[in-house]
Amino acid sequence: MPVASTGAALRRIGLGGITGNRTALFIALGLMVLLLLVPMVLPGYQTLFRTTLVFVALAYGWNIIGGYTGYVSFGNMVFFGLGTYCAALLSARGVDNLFADVALAVIVNAAFAAIIGFPVLRLKGHYFGIATLGTALAVTDIVGNLDVFGGTGGLALKQVDEAHFSIYYYAAWLVAAGAIAITFLVARSKLGYAFVAIRENEDAAAVLGISATKYKIIAWAISAAIAGAAGAVYARGNGFVDPSIAFAEDFNVYPIVMTILGGTGTVAGPFVGALILSAVNETLGHTFLKLHSLFFGAVIVLVVLLLPRGLVWLIGLRGGMRTWLKSLEQYKA
Amino acid sequence: MHLLAQDLVNGILAGGILAVVALGFSLVWGIMNIINLAHGAFIMLGAYVTWQLFTSFHLDPFLSLPVSFVVLFALGYLIQRHLINWVARAPVLTTFLITFGLSLLIVNVALLIWTGDTRGVTTAYSGSNFTVAGITVPWAKLYTLLAALIITAVLYVWLHRSKTGRAIRATSMDIGAAQLAGVRVTQIFAIVYGLGAGLAGVAGTLISLSYSLNPSMGQPFLIKGFVVCVLGGLGSVEGALVGGLVYGIVEAFASQIDLTIGTQHISGTGLQDAVALVVLLIVLMVRPTGIMGRATA
Repeated sequence: MPVASTGAALRRIGLGGITGNRTALFIALGLMVLLLLVPMVLPGYQTLFRTTLVFVALAYGWNIIGGYTGYVSFGNMVFFGLGTYCAALLSARGVDNLFADVALAVIVNAAFAAIIGFPVLRLKGHYFGIATLGTALAVTDIVGNLDVFGGTGGLALKQVDEAHFSIYYYAAWLVAAGAIAITFLVARSKLGYAFVAIRENEDAAAVLGISATKYKIIAWAISAAIAGAAGAVYARGNGFVDPSIAFAEDFNVYPIVMTILGGTGTVAGPFVGALILSAVNETLGHTFLKLHSLFFGAVIVLVVLLLPRGLVWLIGLRGGMRTWLKSLEQYKA
Repeated sequence: MHLLAQDLVNGILAGGILAVVALGFSLVWGIMNIINLAHGAFIMLGAYVTWQLFTSFHLDPFLSLPVSFVVLFALGYLIQRHLINWVARAPVLTTFLITFGLSLLIVNVALLIWTGDTRGVTTAYSGSNFTVAGITVPWAKLYTLLAALIITAVLYVWLHRSKTGRAIRATSMDIGAAQLAGVRVTQIFAIVYGLGAGLAGVAGTLISLSYSLNPSMGQPFLIKGFVVCVLGGLGSVEGALVGGLVYGIVEAFASQIDLTIGTQHISGTGLQDAVALVVLLIVLMVRPTGIMGRATA
């Protein structure tokens, strides 16, 4: 039997309240602070960690709509992509300011999400998922075919000189930290409870007076804004944008995998998942050049079988081995 | 007019393949509530089984259809029985993730076995075609469409007439009630997943006749199968066929778009997918259960 995910029931088995397990959250925050040191301590790994931070932000963006609100989006890469193009278009017009990039990306994406949200969020479950995927693929095609966006040739962005390059790292860190903070604050506010109510039972939520449409659109706009901000800082650090970079499948699938790996609908989960997945990917990539995707696939299969609720769940687990072994049986057909 | 007729024929011919691609995906999704991201990998395996038999034993691709079905059915059955079954009733995201991992695994094993080189299955009739009223029809694609129609019909009859077929449909309606009536759900799930993989294998064989092969070839078909299956109606056999044909035709017509707005030139070949997906969105708005779907919770 699936466990009812109300706050009290979650706390009883050690999952924590609406923000998830507290220990996991502290561990995540501690690691996040440590990540600030990367440009000074491990300058050689700066690009790797910058990309990881972008994925952290993307995972948090997805977690708001997919984890908290329960609307599984397969199209969040479109917001990332539009974010990268916001920065690229600003750069093409001579505006080279990271704050302007992020601000424009946030506004454009929140507006875009709200507009397409009206028709798309009327759909439920799988149909919502496929509609978001459709939107994402259609926008990818359209952007690749319009001259304003540089077509398939792409657009170059002006960057700062080599000596100040770590500014892009700190920008990515700030966006990721902002995403964590927003998730924490949103989860604890009235918004978060509305999102979870919609996830658990949309009809019951509506009966309680929660305007499902309104809150779903808010959730999607927040999700889109975070993904857009991540895209803007990624584009600046990368220095170049074209449709195959901006709308790469990786930016769609990895954040989802990371969030599920860490634990959906928790504040610590996406961070833990993103960090572990990036580390595994990187280590395997160096050790077994040809086999690393194979091992990556095997790792995912094992994690799903052994930790069906995500890693954060394991940190707060009460009852030790026996609860864990029992939990493995709970979803068996 | 003539060009339109040619597009219509091209669309129908392409739609036949898409229908078979969507068939297995739709069954697994509709009956087990699993979004099977490994479907594209199964398609690829089916195509490689055909290629291997063709290059090693000169076996005609149409004769290798049953072989790829049986091989993939067995693989799918074992995967469901021993891996996915552990999380079969978990939220849809969990199974989504495990099939994503499986897909990565399978594609990379295929890379090790067959390398990333592009392969092709070139039969005696590969390049030949015939012309009726000015419309060109490639033989290989016509045979493919016929095979697709036969497979769909056989599956439809089997699901509605056979004992196992009835048990499968009962499971898709209400797992608990089916169990009470004596249906062994674990067994049914393994059969359905095996069937989904087997149909993917068949689709792979049909695809290998008209497209080139490489280990990541399944991905675009997975996405199209996704769309077709929603377009037609989840878990519906006849829906997959209708959805596949509609998608194929829309895509073929979309490739003919040729617009110039101001200085901006828009050509249809790049926007094929975009137009098809916009059609999908419209269908979803107007009829969220798909063209042939029933209204269910």
